[in-house]
Amino acid sequence: MAHNALTHPAARKVDGYALFWGLPLVLWQVMFFVAPLVFLVVMTFWTVKNFRLAPDFDTVNWVNMFSKSYVIDTYFRTLGYGALGAVVCSVLAFPASYALAFKASPIVQRIGLFVIITPFFTSYLVRIYSWQAVISDSGLLNGLFGLVGLGPFDMLSTLFGTMIGYLTLTMPLVILLQFFSLTGVDRNLIEAAHNLGCGRLRTVFLVIVPSAKTGIILACTFAFILCFGDLVSPASLGGSKPPTLSILIVDTVKQGNNWPRAAVVALMMVLTLIVVAFTAIFFAYRVKKEKT
Amino acid sequence: MSADRFIAYGLRGWFLVALIFIYVPIVINFIYSFSPGRFPTLPLGGFSTGWYELILSEAPVPRAFANSLKAGVIVALISTFIGFAAAYTDYRYRFLGKNIYLALALLPPTIPVLILGLVMLMFLSRVSLVGELYSVVLAHVVYCIPFAMALIRLRLAQIDPDLESAAWNLGANSWRAMREVIVPFTLPAIFAALALTMAVSFDEYLIAFFVGGLTETLPVRVLALLQGQVNPRINAIGSFVFAISMSLVILAQILLLTRRSGNRGIAAGGA
Amino acid sequence: MTKKKGETKHTWRFTRRRFLKGSAAAAAVIAASGVTRRVAWSEENTLSYLCWPGHGAEEVVGPFEQANGVKIISKEYVGGEAMMALINQSDSGTYDVVLSDREYITMLRAGGLIDEMDPNDYPFDDFWPEFQKMPGHWLDGKLFSVVLDFGYLGIVHNTDVISEKEASSYKILWDPKLTGKVGQFDWYLPSMGCLSQYNGNKSPFDIDDAAFSKLRDTVFSLKPQVAGYHGIPDIFNALKNGDAFAYQGIGDWITILLAADGYPVTTTIPDEGGIQWTESLSLSTGGKKQAMAKKFIQYLTSPEGQIRVALKSSYMGSIPNKKGWTLMNETKPEGATILRHRFDQRNVMDEYADGKIALRQLPAQQSIDDWSEVWNEYKNI
Repeated sequence: MAHNALTHPAARKVDGYALFWGLPLVLWQVMFFVAPLVFLVVMTFWTVKNFRLAPDFDTVNWVNMFSKSYVIDTYFRTLGYGALGAVVCSVLAFPASYALAFKASPIVQRIGLFVIITPFFTSYLVRIYSWQAVISDSGLLNGLFGLVGLGPFDMLSTLFGTMIGYLTLTMPLVILLQFFSLTGVDRNLIEAAHNLGCGRLRTVFLVIVPSAKTGIILACTFAFILCFGDLVSPASLGGSKPPTLSILIVDTVKQGNNWPRAAVVALMMVLTLIVVAFTAIFFAYRVKKEKT
Repeated sequence: MSADRFIAYGLRGWFLVALIFIYVPIVINFIYSFSPGRFPTLPLGGFSTGWYELILSEAPVPRAFANSLKAGVIVALISTFIGFAAAYTDYRYRFLGKNIYLALALLPPTIPVLILGLVMLMFLSRVSLVGELYSVVLAHVVYCIPFAMALIRLRLAQIDPDLESAAWNLGANSWRAMREVIVPFTLPAIFAALALTMAVSFDEYLIAFFVGGLTETLPVRVLALLQGQVNPRINAIGSFVFAISMSLVILAQILLLTRRSGNRGIAAGGA
Repeated sequence: MTKKKGETKHTWRFTRRRFLKGSAAAAAVIAASGVTRRVAWSEENTLSYLCWPGHGAEEVVGPFEQANGVKIISKEYVGGEAMMALINQSDSGTYDVVLSDREYITMLRAGGLIDEMDPNDYPFDDFWPEFQKMPGHWLDGKLFSVVLDFGYLGIVHNTDVISEKEASSYKILWDPKLTGKVGQFDWYLPSMGCLSQYNGNKSPFDIDDAAFSKLRDTVFSLKPQVAGYHGIPDIFNALKNGDAFAYQGIGDWITILLAADGYPVTTTIPDEGGIQWTESLSLSTGGKKQAMAKKFIQYLTSPEGQIRVALKSSYMGSIPNKKGWTLMNETKPEGATILRHRFDQRNVMDEYADGKIALRQLPAQQSIDDWSEVWNEYKNI
């Protein structure tokens, strides 16, 4: 009788072999990921006096942070910025992913992916810093605009600047994820739609996008997660004007060593992201019942 | 069908614009690193390799670079091992709570890096594990495991499930099957994971900044310079960082791409 | 096991070769950095320094490092509270020497973080009289910190846009031509202090709650003018690129560097007054290298060290050591001129004697939290 790895009786055997491979992840993550996160929750109840941290059980930090209107404002603002960044990136990336998925030969696709992925992990920090040179009042872009008699435009220390940063952060990932989803779309469906007289644009929105829905939603979600939590773009390209939650966390720590208050904000962010992630996954993998 | 052509070219052009957008800061950084003066302008107005000489001769940068390399290699090794173990466990076993197991591996990327750094600092300082290079390693492994695991898991998904059980049926014990079937097959993904996790660790600046304390990695040096003294040193260091991490990612991609064709269903066994 | 002829052999060799190459490379790298470590400095030979940006750079500490076989490892901060946060986050003695703004010395002492110092070890006799017994450094008659450098804060402005005459009052910040062009140094203490002076508070940091409420309104009213909340590099970039034309709460420490590079910026102390910042050196409690730390402080306060601190490239500052002035005039006369450290011309000590400069302090009648909260709200409106 033929078994594969999954149906083989050995697949449920908990022996030394299984533990050797199964445990490292659990041990490491519990020690260095779960424990710190639990500590984060604990920390929100501690207090700080004269820059010194003291274990405590006091809800003062929660009360304090939630009573400040600017904290609430910053929360919703960051939510909005994250959503804006995610949507703008998804929209702007789509034609590029579409081009790579449908208008490129396999070799070109490989090259395209290659050049998109390669700078993905390189120093985000230095890239954002370099953007300052491009969008500042006497920077590269305004110089170019000046040549045709336009501008100068105020781009640095504005929402526009922050968005440029967000795009730098998310564009490669979103193009990638959208691309993989788009290449998975059944070409027969597209051809059928065309044969039935569906115009190009309609086909895109009624056939291709829904088919690639999973990847598109996941890409958008990742983009949101990245933008929501980002510190460098709103600070360096947005001029901290206005601040986001990440800037608020850094300020809180810098101003009074107030880790508990910073922990409150951090926890708010983590919980928000968990909710967003679960909601996104729900929608991404939901199969709509079709009317026949 | 010229409308079609027009659209096709338009879309391709869009892709190119996206590409340019992604590479502009890298190119600008490279150009600025040769600025003769302290405040670079465009056009450059001169050419100087002085900043490169400066960063190489001043102690903090070589020191930070050595730290980054050491940490990167160790992080790559540990996170690839754990990533492999987790990927293999996911591939091979079914058990209660598997979803939680997977969540443990895949949750870290959903937490903003700033918060990860902060939380690690708070925690590690309470257990006095903060301020050293190993603190950076501990934290970075958590951050890198998902990358290693994803790469190796993808590769494992390609293996013919009959292979391992065939080996068992032929009398090999689990360890031997692992050594002679699984590992050789996933070797390219393992190397790719090593390269990728090293790149990720090499570039990570926020977590390292918080938990490293006086021990600086190269991105932390950049962050310190960005907060206090802005001059083309940052651009020069940036060029190095770009060169190294891009090389690592290119290496990872080559490793994965050369395995793309063939090897489905064949045992990539030892000699 | 089935093998396709030739293919698996090839793959195995391919990967094995790559692996060997890779591991050899990795080993070489680790070995190389290990070698560098040995040739460089072992744990014993380092001195850690908590300071504002640039103080630990080779141009400042190089001669000391060479003379003593020691490596200075600096951890930089921006803003006094950030310094307090860092020092409270680490184990006692993590930093051997602490450079602190004057107003934080009492807090450091209260937290048991700095040690008493012996005045005979330091060249107070060489200092200008104003710095020999400066308030804040002597607590209960005991010495806890030695002045390193100082400077004045007022209005920093682009002279092409705002003349020095216009900058003679903080009122210029609200001028319509500066809408969206007034940068704010992202530290509440000096930025709000200057605005407090604008409100007429002679002791800008010691104000009652009514005056504090008024200060809050003044700060908020400046919002439409704000270009952005800037860290140090952003300030340099903004002034250089024209993203901002004016700041309050910063001074020569920014403008001298830019002016030396030909940019039209200067610092003007308005009639309402300016603020003096002072940075001072202390010995950290629990530090394991106190003897070397003391030598380091002595070096930094010696004439040669003073000149290097004054003229460093991160930002420039004025020095309290008169013998340092003399040496500077002899060896670096251009530096002395731009820093206004000449004896034959109006210099920074004369400006201080004018009486328009108030020492920067921590808020006296409100808490740090009260003031920094105003700043946070300000950033958010």
